[in-house]
Parts: sequence; structure tokens; C-alpha cells
Amino acid sequence: MANGLPLSDVKVLDLAWVMAGPVATRVLNDYGATVVRVESATRIDTARTLVPYISNAPGPENSIRFQNINAGKLGVTLDMSKDQARDVVRDLVRWADVVVESFSPKVMRSWSLEYESLRAIKPDIIMLSTCLMGQTGPMSRFAGFGSLAAAISGFYDLTGWPDRPPAGPFGAYTDTIAPRFTAIALLAALEYRRRTGRGQYIDQAQGESALHFLTPALLDYATNGRTQSRRGNEDEAMAPHGVYPAAGDDRWVAIAVRNDDDWRALCDVMGRGELSDDERYATTEARRARREELDAIVSSWTREHEESEIETALQSRGVPSSAVQNSSAIYADPQLAHRGQFVQVEHALHGATTIEGSHFHLSRTPARVERPAPLLGEHNQYVLEEVLGYAPERIAELVAAGALE
Amino acid sequence: MLSPYRVLDLTTERGLLCGQVLGDLGADVIKIEPPGGSPARNVGPFYKDEPDPNRSLFWWAYNRNKRSVTLDIEQQDAARAILRRLIEGAHFLIESHDPGYMASLGLSYDDVAAINPGIIYVSITPFGQTGPKAGWADSDLIVWAAGGPLALTGDSDRPPVRVSVPQAYAHASAEAAVAALIAHHERARSRRGQHIDVSAQASVDQATLSNALSAPLGVPDVRRSSGGSKYGPILVRGVYPASDGYVAISFFFGTALGPMTRRLMQHVYDEGFCDESIRDKDYIAYVELLLSGKEPESEYARVRDALEAWTRSKTKAELLDAALERGLLIAPIAQVSESFDSEQLAAREYWQPLDHPELSMTVPYPGAFAKFSETPLRYRLRPPLAGEHNRALYIDELGMTEEEVFDLQANGAI
Repeated sequence: MANGLPLSDVKVLDLAWVMAGPVATRVLNDYGATVVRVESATRIDTARTLVPYISNAPGPENSIRFQNINAGKLGVTLDMSKDQARDVVRDLVRWADVVVESFSPKVMRSWSLEYESLRAIKPDIIMLSTCLMGQTGPMSRFAGFGSLAAAISGFYDLTGWPDRPPAGPFGAYTDTIAPRFTAIALLAALEYRRRTGRGQYIDQAQGESALHFLTPALLDYATNGRTQSRRGNEDEAMAPHGVYPAAGDDRWVAIAVRNDDDWRALCDVMGRGELSDDERYATTEARRARREELDAIVSSWTREHEESEIETALQSRGVPSSAVQNSSAIYADPQLAHRGQFVQVEHALHGATTIEGSHFHLSRTPARVERPAPLLGEHNQYVLEEVLGYAPERIAELVAAGALE
Repeated sequence: MLSPYRVLDLTTERGLLCGQVLGDLGADVIKIEPPGGSPARNVGPFYKDEPDPNRSLFWWAYNRNKRSVTLDIEQQDAARAILRRLIEGAHFLIESHDPGYMASLGLSYDDVAAINPGIIYVSITPFGQTGPKAGWADSDLIVWAAGGPLALTGDSDRPPVRVSVPQAYAHASAEAAVAALIAHHERARSRRGQHIDVSAQASVDQATLSNALSAPLGVPDVRRSSGGSKYGPILVRGVYPASDGYVAISFFFGTALGPMTRRLMQHVYDEGFCDESIRDKDYIAYVELLLSGKEPESEYARVRDALEAWTRSKTKAELLDAALERGLLIAPIAQVSESFDSEQLAAREYWQPLDHPELSMTVPYPGAFAKFSETPLRYRLRPPLAGEHNRALYIDELGMTEEEVFDLQANGAI
């Protein structure tokens, strides 16, 4: 597809499930790659079943998450338990530059779709397998979601209040980290293939990628023997530092006082100028030691104001602050609107609907986000006919064999 | 994979991971530090708790596979001449200063592209290069609040909480590496560079798992709840107590996941922790039943209580064994120490040692983010001391004399 986008020459066969793989291929798609996503109508992608649903109506075409992370892709349904369907996959491998999958190692071998088999079909194929724990090791068969990888990697223990059970980060947290490394790995492998003509196999363990977001704590244990754990919103270099109640029900504002200048400005804005001269709070160290006392002082002020007033007043004095933004606030955020965070696309069932645009911007070759996620099997005809060049008789045979379900 | 390419890393304490990822992939990453050393060297924790620019574990965490030179990019004349020569030979430049700062030094994208039109210039900032919040002051917590994930996390009776190890700029930096490689792919055809604008706020939106779209799509905001979240009336609880700590459980419904929940409750029943009425609930249609009120919340609470009674009676290891044996969605909540000591990671030879000769020690670093069959990632360089490679770059490569380097030092340029 000569669409002028950066990855217009890249063809991706996406056999991955749920979130981690599809989030990565969505980014490639935004920047011009042609992504053919294989699903099954008989064993429906878990992501299609996840809450929340558009307008709260359950249904396989209604999952907000599925719609967002698969926008723009071509959707094909294949019943992989059928020989004929796996032959179609092999033809798609011949077409593709990159294959991404998240089945178990045993399943891919039983289908003769493991790397050795794919390489025999297409010697320079780049294949990436993504799973929680990796293709080898005693835990390789441990399957599940990013919430479990986040738990077993340490993120859960590190999130919450010290006097309470772990709160954990939101949902399948490592599913939000691993895809970044998936995309990096694929793009680097493509670069290597461009220069050398050689493909390769990439074994990505979601947990291993995600640990790079905990490195300071891991080194603290490895070199100092200290096991960091959750500590609310406390910070080792800032005070006051926390999330404070604003006026209204369950409204919050985050404030981070980095240094003495920030502290003086905060005191001014709170109308408590006398505190900035108070020796008990003169240094970060002193403020940290009395952080509970200060949190009470700050809270008694924030409680009286709306979070938008607080962030504006503090930011105008250069003090880091932001409302704690839920979806409604994010949707109304002028900064995100300025960056085109939300994009309207036309969906066959939902009409005009909203998905996210590219989070980052390329000045000369911006992303193109124009199409919704595919309906189940929406592009069967297009992919078999236009991409693979199958004759109508062959397609009819596949239909008759139930291979396209 | 990226060994033919050079990266100039001008990032502050924000954005360091981006250059490290490119370095892990083989690029020659030159970390350009101010003469006193990067401010990131002052960020704790520190090795043996001794605050020292070469003992910052934060610095260690994100500067492997980089070489360091010191150079005052605010100075003109001699220092600027060096920077120009480095820019001429570079393929990527990464910076994370406040918007406008690089332009004030005559180092905006346009300035740099005038020297080297092929360069890919990556800017990582809290809110992006332009827009009403572009000038806002930030920190990890502020970005996490503004971008969405903070509202979704924490106990319902306390303020929202962040992850205690800062995450915002790790997300932004990893995303910046993705963006840089996309632009690089295009450059192979066009021979032209471009400017990449990464906003940490927009980047961390990914950690809302698309829930930022709730408002435009007619769904009430997700509410935080201890160890889980609330989707309208439906509580998704993910944290359960074990006899020796906690476990995470994916306890979901619907056609894809309901059968796994059913399998779990069958096992809880077999072990004597629930009755048939709990085992036999319709876990496939359970969301619909709860939404319609046909299943009261009190019944759902009874299910969770039974599950908790079972998990409480077992250790984390026993629960993991049950998960592996029966394909249940349960994982131990590991402390950092347990994560580090994981048998799985040991079996995969994950930890990569790097010698720190200046401290006479070897440090195990988190290993390759993925295993590449043809081009395994190599950890070639431990995080550098400030200016460790001044000689290699300035004298050996740029051909400066000892006297010239000495003069620059005397002027505070390097």
C-alpha cells in the first residue's frame, strides 16, 4: 500500500490475542503498516468480551477496549482447528514481513506454525511470540493477563498504602508496557533485515519487558538488599507530595513540592505566607519529616476549592499540580484536545464513534487514524481475494469447509 | 541491530530510558552531560545510601550502553563548535528539556536540521511541545494525575495512589523509542529526518487501558476500589489474601473468561469452601445478570467471600501450584525481592551482570527486554561516569589536542 506513511511497506500478520500484541500492532497500523488480524468466530477474542461496552451494551462488537486497540486493522476469521484455515495462515505468512502471536508454544507446534515451520515457508520472516513468562523455563506455561504479570513482577506490592493490602496498578498493567517493547523489537528486527536480508525469532516475556520499569527498585534490592514496598504517595525527595481532596464528592488534586521555591509559592497561594518563614518546614528534609502535619494543612485548604482552581493557581506560580483526571476530565482536557487525542471514526454498527489517536506526533509523516476496528470477519473477502489473490472457487471451498469461522 | 547509528542523548532526568533502549539495540549512544554531571545523578536511591553522582541507582537504571561526555550546551563558541560536529555525525538526537529551552539556545529542531537534515530529533516533555499546558510544571505524580491512570488506582476510602516506583517517564521514554524507530524506517527511503513530539501525559493514557474513552462512549467513569475497580455496579476485585501474603486473581465473566471462573469455583467447591449454589452460578452471563439486577450484589459478595476463604487457607506458592496445575488465573503478589529471586528469571538467565570496576563490584541488571534469535541484545557498557569518554570522543575521534581539551575544561565548557 503506497500510502506515503512511514511503515507503508510493512505487512503484519497479527495472530495475537487480547491486549499486548494488538496494542503494538495498532501503533504500526497508525503509521501505515498493513495489519491483517486473524480471529476466530468460534473462539472469540477475549478482548471483544471485556467491559466496558459502548453505551453499556454487551456484545462482541461493543467492547471499548477492543475497538480502540484494533482500530484500522483488517479482520479475518479463521477456525485454526481446520487444516484449510492453517493453509490460509501459511499463505499470509508468505505475504507478511512480520508475524506476531500469543498462543502457547505447544499449540503453535501442533499446528506446524512454530518459527522453524514458518521459516521453511518464508526464510526472512520476523516472528515474535509474546506471552507472560516467555517460551522457556518452569513457568512458560503460566498463562493469563497483564494483571497477573504485574503481580508476579512486583508492581502490585509497590502500589497502595503501607498499612493496607496492595491496591495494585489499574487492570492488566503490564499489557500497557510490553507492547512498547514489542513495537521496538519488531522495528529493530525490520531494520536489521533491511541491511542483512535476515529475519529472526523473538521471544518476548511480558514480565521481563515490564521489569525495565522497576529497575531502580530492583537495583536497590540487588545492591543494598533493601526491598522497596508500597508507600502511598510519599516521595523520597519531595514534600508536600500527594493527592489532596478538592471540593465535591471524590474529587482530587495532585501537588508535588520539589524544592523551597515551590514551598514558598504554595504557602502564598494557600494564603499561609507565615508558614514559609516557619523553620519547622524550611527544608525538604524537615518537610518530609513532618509530612503528615503538612498534608493536613494542605488538605484543609484544597477541600475548600475546586481542583481546576487549585491547579491553575499553583501552575501560575510554577508549582507542579494537576487535577486527578477521570475519563470525563480527560475528554474535556484542552491540552489533549490540542494534540488530537480523541478521533472520530465511522463504524458500521455504531455510526460516528470515538477512538484514541496516536499518542506521539511525527512532524513530517503524521499518523493516519481513520478506520474503526474490524467487525468479526469483516475483511475475509478482501484479504482472501485482494491480498492473497484466491479464486472465487477456492474461497467457496473454504466457506464450505467452515474454515472461515 | 542499530550498530551503524549514533544517538546524542541530551535528556535530563526525564527520558533516559529512550537512549538506553537504542543502546541495548546496538546504537552508539553518547550521553551529553553538563560539566557538573547530569541532574539525574542526584536522584536516589543510592548505592549504600551514599549520595554520590556515581552511586545513583536511578542513573544506573537508565544509562547502560551509553558513553558519556561532558559539554555545556549553553555555551557558544568552542563548546558549540564541538556540539555542531557531534550533530553532523549523529542519526538521532533525544532531549527532554522544557519546551522552548532548546530553541533559546539555538538548538531547536530547525536549527539542528539545518546542520544535519537527516537527523531524527526526539523531544520528550510532560505535556507536549505546544498547547495550553505545554508550560506546566510537572513530576511523575502530576503526569500520572493528568494522564488518567491515577484516578483509577487506590482504595475507595483514601486518595488515589501512584505506583511507588515512578512510571510516567518510563512510559514516555519507551514510546519515544518506538516513535524514533518508525521515523528511522521512513528515513531509509526518504533520507530525511523529522521532529518527534512525545507528551508524557498522552503517553501514560495507555495505562488507562482505553478507559479514557468511557466519557465519549456513554459509560460512567471507572471507580477505584481496593485491589480492583468498579465498572458501574460491577466490582472487579483482583487482590485476595493468602496465608503468607497476597495473590492476584483475574475473576472475570463472559464467553471467553466465564469458563475459567467456573473452573476456579469448581475447584473452590472441591476443596470444600463453597456450596453448589455458588459453584453453579452462570459465570458466562454474570455481567448481564448483575447489570439487570437479577443477581443481587449480596450474592456476588458471597462468591467473593467463598473465594477469599479458600485463598486465605493456602500459601502463595500453593495457590500458584494450583494455578499451574489447573489453568487458573492466579498469580502470587511478589515483593521486589521475590521478583528478583524468581526461578523463572534464573532459568532464562535474565539478569545480566555488568562490572563496576570503580566500585570493585558486579551488578546484576534486568536483562534483555526480549530474546532475539539472530541478534541477542548485549550489555556492553555499564552506566558511565560523568565525562568518562571525553578523551575517546574529543581527542581520539574529533582530533582535538590535549591543550584544546585543557582550555575547554578551564572555560567550564566540558
